[in-house]
Amino acid sequence: MTEILCNELPALFQKVADKFMEKKEELCEMDAAMGDGDLGLTMSKGFSALPDIIKANCSDDIGMTLVKSGMKMASVVPSTMGTLMSSGIMNGGMALKGRTAIDASSLALYIRGFADGIQKRGKCKRGDRTILDAMLSAADKAEAVLSGNPEATLQGVMNAAVEGAKEGVEATKEMVPVFGKAAVFAAKAKGVPDQGATAAFYMLSGMQAYIDGTS
Amino acid sequence: MKKIINKPEEYTDDMLRGIYAAHGDDVCCTADDLRCYCTAHKKEGKVAIITGGGTGHLPLFLGYVGDGLLDGCGVGGVFQSPSAEQIYNVAKEVEAGAGILFLYGNYTGDIMNFDMASELLAMEGIETKSIVGADDVNSNADHDKRRGVAGIFFMYKCAGAKAAEMGTLDEVLAAAQKAKDNTRTVGFALTPCVIPEVGHSNFTLGENEMAMGMGIHGEPGIWNGPVKTSKELAKESLDTILADMPLKDGDEVCVLINGLGATSQEELYILSGDVSEYLKAKGIKIHRTFVGEYATSMEMAGASISICKITDEEMRSQIDKPVYTPFYCQK
Repeated sequence: MTEILCNELPALFQKVADKFMEKKEELCEMDAAMGDGDLGLTMSKGFSALPDIIKANCSDDIGMTLVKSGMKMASVVPSTMGTLMSSGIMNGGMALKGRTAIDASSLALYIRGFADGIQKRGKCKRGDRTILDAMLSAADKAEAVLSGNPEATLQGVMNAAVEGAKEGVEATKEMVPVFGKAAVFAAKAKGVPDQGATAAFYMLSGMQAYIDGTS
Repeated sequence: MKKIINKPEEYTDDMLRGIYAAHGDDVCCTADDLRCYCTAHKKEGKVAIITGGGTGHLPLFLGYVGDGLLDGCGVGGVFQSPSAEQIYNVAKEVEAGAGILFLYGNYTGDIMNFDMASELLAMEGIETKSIVGADDVNSNADHDKRRGVAGIFFMYKCAGAKAAEMGTLDEVLAAAQKAKDNTRTVGFALTPCVIPEVGHSNFTLGENEMAMGMGIHGEPGIWNGPVKTSKELAKESLDTILADMPLKDGDEVCVLINGLGATSQEELYILSGDVSEYLKAKGIKIHRTFVGEYATSMEMAGASISICKITDEEMRSQIDKPVYTPFYCQK
């Protein structure tokens, strides 16, 4: 496939929801060691609700569709991580305002917008050991592929983003947490990847599974 | 827990149904959502002022929606933020062509949700500006990190008056900012409160114990110890406020003595008398004293003292301006 249309978004995010259903226990266990223990539930609940929310808000403008759907998703999962993910989707959508489809270059824009949205809402920065470390690394890799090859495919950009997220997750193992309850458990964090960053990796992996499955 | 309720999880919506039933001439909800609370007296061309926050603080927040004050309120569950979508829906309903001021308390969840709503509104070409109340002196040395408590009343009054006289969005924001810059609050609790869905209090205070500086959600204060006398509390609170916002002989202020929910009016007036005496002894003039419940914490016992310094005639007239809402009336 070369692009994702608005009416294909529900299937795209269904794949993300499937991924989080599969990884729910793992994320909850990671989170329980460092914080609340509900991260897996938040992710699977939020992304499972997203396909129907998108169907109800679908318009020609894929950016506005994502913005409105992200805001609705925030009501479903009002926790901090739910709000951050929703903000990412909203801000990713803002970067696509007026577009009717997600092609290779707009996928990179979406991922960068998503990362910026989290940064803005969470007031965090690279190296704070958060979801942002995976998202920024994903956005960097996605953009690098495009700048190296303007003809890069949707799949090529997606694969680069997933690879970048994976590197970002690895990097968090050596970072000291500064936010939330994780900061209290700082000593336990060394050598363990951040659970928020891991969630970002799974989200992008779910999107990748959709693109791979339809290519 | 002894409360007059049906089901704990329906506390907020049942309360709202009661409010709409009693005050349907003045307020209404929008988007088929009880928690999207709007004035029924929308005025075209006026800057819309929207607040929001958790339930459990009446008359804060929704009680200040009405003539001469605010236009809408996003209502969250007990001590929870309203959703971005609810704030957005309120904004779409009360926006009247002159932009929107978001004016609410300095709490992380509320900030995230108001910001999210304002981003979507911006995409639709509706201008918003935001300002948060952050008047609780004991909550943090850093002004920007302070919690918003009863002192937001003065921001409501000044911004509401400016909007009512058809000021621009920037002017309304400036009026709120001036009130914010000149208002400080110190509060103290004597008993905890019970969140209905939790069913018991999250902390305890001994029979003769109080908590100085406790927040309106039970956030820990700066000391717990034996209950002090009204005179001692007035002195300690005002000394804290004056150390943070110095006042000199001849300065003029408004005083707000606020009950947290379970403290009698008699006690509030005892405290008010002591506050008044202490300020007068320092040569500080009191323009107006407000005594009653302005920002509560369910059935918590305790009070807060807010001081708003009057900086000019415009601010004085804004605070004196008559207003009417189902929860607050000032002649």
